[in-house]
Amino acid sequence: MTRKQKRLAIISGGVAVIGAAVLLVLFALQDQIVYFHSPTDIVEKQIGPDTRIRLGGLVAEKSVVRGTGTKVEFVVTDTANEVAITYTGILPDLFREGQGVIVEGAFEPGNPVFVADSVLAKHDENYMPKEVAESLKAQGVWQGEEK
Amino acid sequence: MIVELGHYALIMALATALLQSVLPIIGARTRDAGLMGVAPAAAIASFVLILFAFVALTVSYVTSDFSVKNVWENSHSMMPMIYKFSGVWGNHEGSMMLWLLILVFFSALVAFFGGNLPATLKSNVLAVQAWITSAFLTFVLLTSNPFQRLSPAPLEGRDLNPILQDIGLAIHPPMLYLGYVGFSICFSFAVAALIDGRIDAAWARWVRPWTLAAWTALTAGIAMGSYWAYYELGWGGWWFWDPVENASFMPWLAGTALLHSALVMEKREALKIWTILLAIMTFSLSLLGTFLVRSGVLTSVHAFATDPTRGIFILCILVAFIGGAFTLFALRAQTLSPGGLFAPISREGALVLNNLFLTTATATVLVGTLYPLVLEAITGAKISVGPPFFNLTFGPLMIPLLLAVPFGPLLAWKRGDLWAVTQRLYMAAGAALLVSLAVIYFATGAPVMAGLGIGLGVWLIAGSLTDIAMRSGVGKVALPIMWRRFKGLPRSAFGGALAHMGLGVSVIGIVAVTAFATENVVTMKPGETTVGGPFTLQFEGLKPNTGPNYTELQGRFIILRDGQPVSHLTAAKRVFTARQMPTTEAGIYTNGANQLYVALGDELPGGGVVVRVWWKPWVTFIWFGAIFMSLGGIVSLFDRRLRIGAPAKSRAPAVAVGQET
Amino acid sequence: MMFWILAAVMTVAVTISLLVPLMRPRKKDIDAREFDVEVYSDQLREIERDINIGSLSGQEAEYARAEVGRRLIKASKAEADHAAASTDLTRFGRLAVIIFLPFMALAGYLAVGQPGMPAQPLAARVEPVPDSNSNIQALVAQAERHLASNPQDGKGWDVLAPIYLGLNRMHDSETAYRNAIRLLGSTAARQAGLGQSLFSQSGGIVTAEVQEAFQKAQDLQPDNPLSAYFLALGLAQEGKNEQARADFVKLAENSPPDAAWMPLVREHIQRLGTVAGMGTDQAQGQTAVVIPDSAAPGSDAPGPDAPGPSAEDVAAASQMSNEERLDMIAGMVAGLDAKLRENPDDSAGWLRLIRSHMVLGQRDKAGDALSRALDHFGADNADRQVLLAMASQLGLEPKELKQ
Repeated sequence: MTRKQKRLAIISGGVAVIGAAVLLVLFALQDQIVYFHSPTDIVEKQIGPDTRIRLGGLVAEKSVVRGTGTKVEFVVTDTANEVAITYTGILPDLFREGQGVIVEGAFEPGNPVFVADSVLAKHDENYMPKEVAESLKAQGVWQGEEK
Repeated sequence: MIVELGHYALIMALATALLQSVLPIIGARTRDAGLMGVAPAAAIASFVLILFAFVALTVSYVTSDFSVKNVWENSHSMMPMIYKFSGVWGNHEGSMMLWLLILVFFSALVAFFGGNLPATLKSNVLAVQAWITSAFLTFVLLTSNPFQRLSPAPLEGRDLNPILQDIGLAIHPPMLYLGYVGFSICFSFAVAALIDGRIDAAWARWVRPWTLAAWTALTAGIAMGSYWAYYELGWGGWWFWDPVENASFMPWLAGTALLHSALVMEKREALKIWTILLAIMTFSLSLLGTFLVRSGVLTSVHAFATDPTRGIFILCILVAFIGGAFTLFALRAQTLSPGGLFAPISREGALVLNNLFLTTATATVLVGTLYPLVLEAITGAKISVGPPFFNLTFGPLMIPLLLAVPFGPLLAWKRGDLWAVTQRLYMAAGAALLVSLAVIYFATGAPVMAGLGIGLGVWLIAGSLTDIAMRSGVGKVALPIMWRRFKGLPRSAFGGALAHMGLGVSVIGIVAVTAFATENVVTMKPGETTVGGPFTLQFEGLKPNTGPNYTELQGRFIILRDGQPVSHLTAAKRVFTARQMPTTEAGIYTNGANQLYVALGDELPGGGVVVRVWWKPWVTFIWFGAIFMSLGGIVSLFDRRLRIGAPAKSRAPAVAVGQET
Repeated sequence: MMFWILAAVMTVAVTISLLVPLMRPRKKDIDAREFDVEVYSDQLREIERDINIGSLSGQEAEYARAEVGRRLIKASKAEADHAAASTDLTRFGRLAVIIFLPFMALAGYLAVGQPGMPAQPLAARVEPVPDSNSNIQALVAQAERHLASNPQDGKGWDVLAPIYLGLNRMHDSETAYRNAIRLLGSTAARQAGLGQSLFSQSGGIVTAEVQEAFQKAQDLQPDNPLSAYFLALGLAQEGKNEQARADFVKLAENSPPDAAWMPLVREHIQRLGTVAGMGTDQAQGQTAVVIPDSAAPGSDAPGPDAPGPSAEDVAAASQMSNEERLDMIAGMVAGLDAKLRENPDDSAGWLRLIRSHMVLGQRDKAGDALSRALDHFGADNADRQVLLAMASQLGLEPKELKQ
């Protein structure tokens, strides 16, 4: 092989790999990303069932109900609107009523209850999930400790 | 007084670093020996000064001097001594001090051991290091000064975040920073070469051990962080594709590519320009990681109290260094002479393939990490890019790379024979296939992919062994000669094989956990049992307990196998007194390479408790693999070939034969 | 002083270490290209070694040797590139080091540092200092440490709770009372203390929580005047004036006429509807009053020799309307001022006076008092330092202060 051919072989190999990667990324970005919504968004935008979303807000006071076994029901609110959640599993340490939380999951068809498969609370007492803080600010509820 | 002296030393270090940024560059341009001589002296002086400042801060922590604001915010007189000590870097300001200390430590090493570097290269390298030092010292002094005082001093501190009160904090950040900051040396060497417009022969020989050292530390740091998150957060996962994890993983991927391309450059003087670019990219990704973690763009355990001015400041540093380096690269890269030629099928070709896949993979991780930030900035839509994205993009890119790994070391330089190499690997391939089939056959219900995945791991391990065997001449020469050859093999050959083997071990662990782990969430009352893998877990009950600065509720379990008790396990929910913050302490029972992982949930009325039980077969392989990789790095570092002699002062060049040992 | 000596030593040492390479007579320098030659000959030796042990075979070894050889020859032929010394540049370097280094370090430090401030390790602060301002705080801190390690020690919480209350650390006292109640059970005193803590935190409103606490205290000890008082106050705040008045009257009847809370009770009764035959002696010369402490709790509670306000007084002061409270405090402050003119040695008194003025928003008067206090205390007096520290904490610049 001449020098030119060698170079061509290497470059075309490179282009093939990068092209494949770009295709994969584009495909994955179409299908595998999850949008964040506040309860108000849910009411306004009419999210269809089986679409995976993240939902953030405050856990409504006195809304946490333990069902049988490890099933838990609670309500997430941004003070303007509310969404009922069911979740089966262990809640994070800092999950509390009146505190910020993000749940991920989907609505079931024909059921207004959001079925979460993961629940994220904060890592320490100073931390409010950023998305939640912003959507609460939008509702004028929360004034963060901004400097 | 020691506090204020430390503060003074820190400012003095900035003055020294500023001089070190300017004088040696002028010296190197004008070939002035005096000005070039300032570089090593200033590098060592800044190291001593910053070390002093760091010690001053540490003394304040150890003696609980709450007149220092940083100590008051992040320490408590009741904390065990080890956490008082590691708490120094358990916060933003202190960890920036550690960052700086490691940065100047590396500069001082170059100054100290740089006798075998041409003076101009050494001056330029140290000057570029000083630019980084000056930028970050200014950042620390203006936005994150750890020596701010409080008067009158409060009587008690606010305590360290309980999640950080763990031995992990003593190891994870220093290792990670050794890696991040170690790549600054590669960056400085790359920029110095661009400034000078030429690459000395000593360049690659110097860059390779630095890359190795940084990579070794980063590998260990990431593995430690992963294990820490695994047992501390109580979520049972070992990698979440969290943006902050990605921030450390991207420099690792780019650094791995750099490690391999520097090899080509050292041996064949090929891929010079690419290696320089990669060195710049690797450190740029480290800076990007620092920015993502420190600016408050992301929220996570790693995001310390956020302050917008800090984010903007780091962004400016980021833009200045990355932009400056790439501009310099664009202007000067063509002045570097191209190097040796090679055929596509050759060791060089294999290493190019490695680089291609690793950098592409880095790019996909980068896209996944930054896409949500960019999208939110442009459209305002908030999205999260989670594990499914990375599994779909990163995964497929890794499989061909892993398949190709055993071929690389067996190919000859310049022009290789793929068919001959394939023949040498038939044993390894056979072993891999056999294991795959065995897994598929014996592990009932195991997906075919799991069998193939474990086969891939075996393929990597067997391939590495084949490499060492072939180099020793197994099957070709008599046993004594084989032994002699084996002993004569360079350390880097063992290091490389060990690292590739570690990769295989990690792959096996990852595949096994992904395919065979079982998870079980149940409510248990005392006396009840549940199943975890081959074991039965019997709940004994909850018992309160007190630690030095926390109270906890321990859940005690007996582990039974075939009805016989084999061990105990304790999981707990802790409440740290000072911050009234609860944490979950997972209970882990290690059995061989497998682990039984138990996390407690909420207490239920009626004496029950929610318990989450995972059975994680071969999970420890993941971290053992990483340890092997790090060990491989260390073994390679001790290769005598990485030590270069300096030319003796008065010797004629043509007869220069050093007594290198 | 010692600090400046050490800082100077540090500066000189660094300056000299940077000057040495610029001063040292120059040795003959090595040509940069010789380094390349060294590296290539090193590589050649490696190849020889690999051939010897047999790990590099015939043809491959030849290739490698030829390639490195070519590079070696090229490097040896390259033109010499010696470093030289330029006196002008070196002189510039020396000047840069001598001028820039000390100047930058000093200027930078003076801008951000606090040279006079000593290190204050906890161990050195907690143990001695008897009879000093930090005495109570030190005791409290010790008790806190004890409780941090023995959080189940109910007695400890019980002892600490009223102290917190006295120090106006209402959040801490709430926690302490709650812990004491949880561990030792409910008593009237504990419930009343909890009620007061909650009351102060709610800004003087008898919330449902406050009411609940006092109701429990009342149930446990029906003749406790404190709970009677707050429950009545709660009713008044709810607008149930008749009921509130009746309860206040009952409280007045059941209390000795010279009880500390009587004036307040009478005021309430008066406000809720005139009651004949009850005289109103104004509280006069009463020293125990709580000055509302707007600064951060914990770091700056009043000193130990400030007359400790009793629980009743706390309640009394904090339940008044804002105007009443201000009037009362103004009177107190004037009294304190007069007292300090007679007896200016009372440093704790000065602290209280200054803080009171600040709380009342009388910045000038606070500054004035500070100046007077500083004038009184000599230059090297420890009390002066305490005053200055507090002034800086309050953001107060002493008037005509000559250091």
